[in-house]
Amino acid sequence: MLKYFISFCLVITTISNFAQEKESKDSISIKNTYGFRLGIDISKPIMGMIDSNSSGLEFVADYRISKNWYIAAELGTQKEITVEDYTNSTSNGSFYKIGFNYNAYENWLDMNNEIFVGFRYATSSFEQTLNSYTSNTGSDYFSGNTLSTPITTKGLNAHWTEFVMGIKVETFKNLFLGFSFSYKIMLSLKQPTNFKTLYVPGFNRVFETETGFGFNYTVSYTIPFISK
Amino acid sequence: MKKTIIYILLFAFIFSACEKDDICLLPTTPKLVLRFYDNTSQTTVKKVERLSIWADGKDIISNYKSVTLDSVAIPLNVNTSQTIYHLKTNSVNGNIANNATSTITINYTTAEEYVSRSCGFKTIFNNVTITSNNGWIQSFTPTSLTTINNQTSAHVKIFH
Repeated sequence: MLKYFISFCLVITTISNFAQEKESKDSISIKNTYGFRLGIDISKPIMGMIDSNSSGLEFVADYRISKNWYIAAELGTQKEITVEDYTNSTSNGSFYKIGFNYNAYENWLDMNNEIFVGFRYATSSFEQTLNSYTSNTGSDYFSGNTLSTPITTKGLNAHWTEFVMGIKVETFKNLFLGFSFSYKIMLSLKQPTNFKTLYVPGFNRVFETETGFGFNYTVSYTIPFISK
Repeated sequence: MKKTIIYILLFAFIFSACEKDDICLLPTTPKLVLRFYDNTSQTTVKKVERLSIWADGKDIISNYKSVTLDSVAIPLNVNTSQTIYHLKTNSVNGNIANNATSTITINYTTAEEYVSRSCGFKTIFNNVTITSNNGWIQSFTPTSLTTINNQTSAHVKIFH
């Protein structure tokens, strides 16, 4: 845990060094807005309406520290019912992610669009309930044994890293629409006894290789602090 | 730029639709494996002719309907602590008059073990005891097993 914190501090120091670099002044000075951008992931409420097994809420925020660098964070909750052939389980919990984005898009004049890549450290604490299961008999001669008394394991947690790619488009002044895709690699995951964590809030489905994918669609608004 | 966004959104939707891609390939609930040996020379495998197997009160297992085999794998009922099997053979010819039936009774306790996402839980059998009313089965070994948690080798040797 401390290890990640130290590396994260290192990353932040590097970014702040970047911020110290002087940019060459053009004859026409273009002012860029620097500020705190706050938004919401609209894919989660939409998914909740379409799919009754899924409900969640996620807030996104970033803070511009230099021309191309942003400190970024996400915070949210998720409840997901995972239905498999032989098991039915629910994961419920909250997560947060913190890291940075680098804007690789060269804007024209005072445009403020982004094509970014980023990195996150993320953690989630959650509980998982095995709602029901049917034992896999491997044959259909006898039926399987069905359990319907839910078994809840509380106090589960997960730590992972994310690589993020995405775009943000300024549609109105200071209002952004964004899309991003993330690839997640699990660092540590606490498993329940005699079962497995199949879904982690924020990480989504845990694949056999302990990797995951995610995407979000965001609407966000920049609260301008300074223009420079 | 607008086109790019549309493509990315489309791609994301396609991607999100692909799930449930895995199938169960790991071993699940083990079956009871019986191997048939010659009673006079107890290390020699001897096939059982025209063998049919069915559990008490159920139909004949479709794979074991008048077959000639030296080993069989039969499922145990995970909802009860006892399974009774009837094994019918006819070593002379197809005439009903020559049929011989033996009954074996298997008693056990069950426990469930998690396997994987696609395989779910398997049942393992503990404190297994086996009894027989003999008939064409002259003897068998062992009469008790501490656990049946796989079916990689024969659990019970049957001499006939």
